Order: sequence, then C-alpha cells, then structure tokens
Amino acid sequence: MHAFFQIAAYVIIAYMLFSSLSYLLLFLLAFRKVKREDKLDRRESTEDFLGNQNTYPVSILVPAYNEEVGVVSTVRSLLALEYPEKEVIVIDDGSKDQTSERMIEAFNMKQIPFAVRTHIETAEITAIYQSTVFPYIRLIKKANGGKADALNAGVNLSSYPYFCAIDGDSILENDGLLKTMKPIIESDGQIIVTGGSVRIANGSTISRSKVEIIDLPKNPVVLMQIVEYFRAFLIGRLALSHLNILLIVSGAFGVFNKERVIQAGGYNKNTVGEDMELVVRLHRLLREEKSKQRIEYIPDPVCWTEAPESLEVLRSQRIRWQRGLFETLWSHKKMMLNPKYGAIGLVSMPYFLFVELLGAVFEFTGYFIIFGGFFFSLVDPNTAGVLFLVTIFYGSLISALAVLLEELTLHKYPKASHLARLYFWALTEAFWYRPLMVLWRVQGIFAAFQKKAHWGDMKRKGISS
Amino acid sequence: MTIYSFWLLNVFLFLSQLVLLLMLALRKHRLSEKERTINEQYEDLTESFSSYMMDPADDRFLQEIRSTPHQTVVLQRLLNGYVSVAKGSTTSPLVAQLSEDFLTERYAKQLTRRNWAIRMNTLYFIEDFHMQSLAPMLKEKLRKTTLLDQETQQLLRTLASLNEPETLSVLAQYPDAPVRLYLDIFKRLEEHTRSQELSAALRNETNNKTLKHAAISYIGMAGLIAFLPRIESEMQNKDSEMRIQALKAIFHLQFITDPSLLLPFFQSLSWQERMFASRIAGRLQLSRFKETLSELLGDSVWWVRYSAAEALVQFADGDILIAHLAATHPDRFARDMASQWKSSLLGSEN
Repeated sequence: MHAFFQIAAYVIIAYMLFSSLSYLLLFLLAFRKVKREDKLDRRESTEDFLGNQNTYPVSILVPAYNEEVGVVSTVRSLLALEYPEKEVIVIDDGSKDQTSERMIEAFNMKQIPFAVRTHIETAEITAIYQSTVFPYIRLIKKANGGKADALNAGVNLSSYPYFCAIDGDSILENDGLLKTMKPIIESDGQIIVTGGSVRIANGSTISRSKVEIIDLPKNPVVLMQIVEYFRAFLIGRLALSHLNILLIVSGAFGVFNKERVIQAGGYNKNTVGEDMELVVRLHRLLREEKSKQRIEYIPDPVCWTEAPESLEVLRSQRIRWQRGLFETLWSHKKMMLNPKYGAIGLVSMPYFLFVELLGAVFEFTGYFIIFGGFFFSLVDPNTAGVLFLVTIFYGSLISALAVLLEELTLHKYPKASHLARLYFWALTEAFWYRPLMVLWRVQGIFAAFQKKAHWGDMKRKGISS
Repeated sequence: MTIYSFWLLNVFLFLSQLVLLLMLALRKHRLSEKERTINEQYEDLTESFSSYMMDPADDRFLQEIRSTPHQTVVLQRLLNGYVSVAKGSTTSPLVAQLSEDFLTERYAKQLTRRNWAIRMNTLYFIEDFHMQSLAPMLKEKLRKTTLLDQETQQLLRTLASLNEPETLSVLAQYPDAPVRLYLDIFKRLEEHTRSQELSAALRNETNNKTLKHAAISYIGMAGLIAFLPRIESEMQNKDSEMRIQALKAIFHLQFITDPSLLLPFFQSLSWQERMFASRIAGRLQLSRFKETLSELLGDSVWWVRYSAAEALVQFADGDILIAHLAATHPDRFARDMASQWKSSLLGSEN
C-alpha cells in the first residue's frame, strides 16, 4: 500500500512540475511578443485599411439557438462595426423561442426565396429573410442541427471570401473586425484563421450595443472566470500562436478563410467542440499539403460575452468543453506524436492531451492521494500542508502573470483596485474553484462516451441594456 | 530537499506576486495620472488650437503650447485629431509647419529607438503630418534595410506619402513584394508623380509583372480614365493574369471605346474572363450581348452563371428577361440562378 502511494505521489508530483513549468514557459513566450507591441498605436496601424478597396469583404455569421434576448443587440453592434464591406447572416437553428421573430421585427425583414450554393450538406433550410432597411442583413431559418450545422448553413449562404463566426450573445468592439482582418490582409492571405480575445462582460455597463464602462462583477464565480480567461487567452493562446501550433480559436469570435474551411469539409456536426475540431482539421490540411499558411491569435480585438453566473450552468459549460476537447483529440489521434505533423503533432497535441485534458485526472488523483494519505497516516500533515501552499501560490503567481500581460496589452480595467480584487480571488482559487473545475472536467471526459450533441443550455439575461 | 526549502519557496512565490501587484498598481496609478494631465492640457488647448488652424494670425496657441509640459504628446494628439477629421488636411501647410517646428527633433530620436512599437508609431505620424524634413533620414534608413518586414513596409508607405517615387524601385528589389504594397505606394504619391510612375509601370521596361499588375489594378480602382487606351491594349496581352486585371479595370472604369473588344472573352477558356466580360456587359448595359449573357447563364461555373444573371437584371427590361429565363432556359442550373435573381429583385423592391 505504502509503495503504491509513493509511486502514485511521485507521478503526480512529476506531472505537476511538468505542467507548471510548461505554463511558465508559455508565459515567457507570450511576454516577449506582448512587450514588442506594448506601445503600438493601434488606431494608427489600422486606419489605413478603412478606406481601402483592397480590404477583403467579410461575411459575419451569427448562429443562434434560443437567443431572443441578445440576438438583436448583437446584430446592432455588428452594424456599427467599422469595416468597408460586410454582410451579416443570422442562422436561427430551429429555436423554440422568438429568435427569428425578434430579428424580422427589428430589421423589417422580408422572406426571399434564395438559391443557396450548397458547399456543405446541412439540415433543411426552411426560409431565408432579408432586411429591407439594411439589405446586407439576412436571416436563415433552418431545422435544428446543432451549432456546427448552423455555421455550415451560414458558410453556404455567405458571399464573401472570409467569414467571421460570432456567438449570438456577444458584443464585438467597433474596430474588432478590422483588427482581426489586419493580419490576414497584411500576410496577403497567408494567415487563414485569426482569433481575437474573448472577455467577460458581466459587471460592465453595455448600452446601445457598446461597452461603455468596464467594471468587475461582484459574483466570485464570474470573477474567477475572468482570471481564467486571462490565463487562457493571454498566456496560452498567445504563446501557442507564436509557435504556429495554436489549436483553439474561440467559437465566440474568429475569422476564417472560407475556401479553406470548405476544403476541410466545414464544421463537424458530431462534436460539441466544433470550433477546436475545425482548427485542428485545418492544421492537419496545412501540414499534409506542406503549406506555409498560418493560424493566428491576436490579443487586441476584443469580443465581450456573457459568462455563466451560476455553478450549475458553468458546470454544464465545462463538461461540454472538456467533452469537445476529448472528441477532437480522439478523432485526430493519428496526429498525436506523429512527426509528419511537425510541432502540432509533437508539441501541441501532447500538450492538450496531458495538460488540458488529462490534467484534471492527474489533479483528481492528487486530491485522492492526499485524502487517502491522511486516512492511512501515510502522509505527514505538515509536508502535505506546505506542498499544498506551494501549489496555491504557484497557481496564483501564474494568474498574477496573466494579469500583468493584460496590463501590458489592453489594460481595459481602469482602476488599481480592480487589479487587487483579481489578485485576491486568484489566491482563493485552489480552495473552491479549482477542485470544482477538476471534478467537472473529469465528468466531461466521461460525458464524451455518452454521445449526444446539443447546444449549451445557458440562461441568458442579455448583456446589453 | 527539506521542508524548509519548500517554506522558502512559498515565501518567495508569495512575495514575488505581492511585489508584482504593487508594481502594477503603482504603474496603473502613474499612467492614469499622466493620462489625466495630458487630457487636461489637451482640453485646455483645443480652443486656441482650433482658432489657430482657422486663422494663423491668432497665435495664442503657439505661446500656450510652448509652455505646456507634455508639449509633444499633446500637440501630436491635437494634430492627429485634426488630420483625421478636417477635409484636405493631409496637405495642410499649418500641420506640416507645426509638426516640423515641435516634433522633428523628437521623431528623429524616436526613429533610432530600440523599441519597435515606438519606431512604428513615429512612422505613422510622420506620414499623417507630412513631415518632409525627415525624408532624408527615412531614405537612409530604407537603404540599410534588407528585409521586407512590417517596419520596412510602413517605411515605404511613409516615404511614398512624402512623394518619393524611388520607393517603387526599392520595393521592386524584393521579388516577393505583394501587389498590395505597390498599390499603397501609388495611392500615396502626388498626382503628377503618380501618373508618370503608372505610365512607366505599364511600359514595364523592368519586366516587373507585379508592378504592372498593381498599376492596372490601381487605374481601375482610382477611375483614371485617361489611361483607358493603355488598359484596352492590355486586354490583348498574352498573359491571362494581365488580361483579367485589364477586364477588372474596365469594369471599374465603366467605359470601353469599342464593346466588340469583349467578344473573345465570352468564349474564353478561363472562367474568370467569362465572368468579368459578363459583369462588364451588365454594368455598361451593352444590350447587344443579351443573347450571349442568356447563354452564359447556363455556364458550367457557378460564378459565371451568377454574374451573367446579375448582368441581365441590370438592363431596363431585366426583370422580364430574368423571369422569362427562369421559366424557359433549357439548363436547370440556369433556371435556378435566374429564379434566385428574380426573387432578390422582389426583395429589393419591397
């Protein structure tokens, strides 16, 4: 028994060391990039594209399922986007609420029989509407087929070479699209996907589809998610994108080269993590073609979204994410540790497998060992206590470094007290938030075995007033 | 490792984030203080700045800006606001004068800074304010570069905005230089210089395909009708890419001296040529091609069918034509496309 505990404990400690160091390494990579662009005048660097006829036109796809509360304000915020040529396509994926009715009413839409060019097979399309006020707003009503299917229908109807996928209850900042397209334009199409940052809007004041005052929410569940998003976006994605091995572009906000997506077969309907799965498939396509094209994350353009406030909704979200991650890694297992896929196969896939997916299992076992150890008096409480403190402080240091990156890149939060609050909550993470996440992520792995695709059933309050 | 070393590690981890927090809080405080004073000074000077820009005889502004602590930042902001709002301000002698007087020295220093972002910002502002006096320094900088990175690209754009045509020959040294950059340069050159450079590019004595491509493309986008005969002669170029660019330019110029020049393109093997020929026929309302367009409605390529239908609906009797074709065209895809356009017409009338 003793020996078993010893071995298990060593494995866990080795794992913890490995994952902690990997995060520190990613931070250093991200820091280098951030430092370089820290003082750049963003407005100056994009204003040239505004009046430029060479700026590629973009179709904005808004998949919506039961989004009657937020869909109209999302579309309004999209109308205000500074971009020379765009169209907005809302896809109502068989909503049971008034999503379509709200759209038809708000934008004075009329039904048009429109022949859709079917690049990708989708569930049946029942009607297509066009706004009589803004002809470039269209609405597709279709039978329910899941988010991936809705996006595919949008891709079919879109008329421009690039499309931007954005969630039904998100607000994009005015210059967001321009900033996201900038790398694509400047690389002359060598960058085929760009993803921006997703920020949590809870707590901030949003009116007339614009973020007016940025503030922190009171709810600790949301505060913790803010810290978590900082870590994921500013450390994880920035560093991985720097190495061109980024596997996730958030489903909430990303721009894609349509031709490439169609070539890859569109979004996969059989996974709940369709955003990640598509990016992995695109990477696979690029590597198999030995193409030099890239997939990039840019921290600056920001999309504001509503985060779950209750633990119950958060739980179902996390289980879904974890399940999506599992399904993606499983369906592309051929790439794992396969030198043919370069750094994606050798670094990125194993990173996502061991740190992002199985990390939860290792941590869960860690908790189990600690409790078991106490129970059988195999662990000295003092040693365990000190080690526990190390993990707490280390974890919060990484969060603190993420806050540092946010301060260097966007510094959206105006007051010093905001920083102090984020710091404080980061310190409490190990006591309540982390164990919950670990538990749900383990559940998510199990959920992957019971397949049934569905939309997240989040209760929206609407973020705009 | 003893337990004490872990305690030590804990203390270190805790202290390091405490220090980090204090540093960040201090930085935040300092920056917002600075931002506040700059904003105050900006507000204070706005009025005298506006009246100076309208009537330079009212020189209160000059005295005030001289005694402002954050002189360069505030002036930079005022000028930047002015050039982005006021019409024709890009060539305003007052903007050039003010920036030359107060910003030259600072910008010259900034151009040699190690920080990449500061150098980039400086290049953007030199372009916005048309600071001619810095041109020699920029040219020197360009001579020393060997890589077409983001900074060099901006350097080229800034120099082009100062009307330096040799930017084109420098760019031509990079075989991978994209059309986009040539276009950026053409756009910034002054009219006379630009015309000369466009003519030279069309003659293509240096055998630079990308440059010629960019020139044709620019002529179309900018609607430079004076170049029409040259563009029309490019329609007979042996290179298909050039022919397509010429067709695109004709489409934008919305003019063609002899419509029969289009004839061969409707039968071309390249679908892009068939597509552009159709689009031109529609935009220029060349009714003699109605028959041809109806045939192209049954083309094997979706884009050609789409453009043929789009062209047909632009004729005065387009709605009747398209309704007729939707019902009677022998090709099923053609009928589909025609009905799609028929219904989109309904949508726009409502």
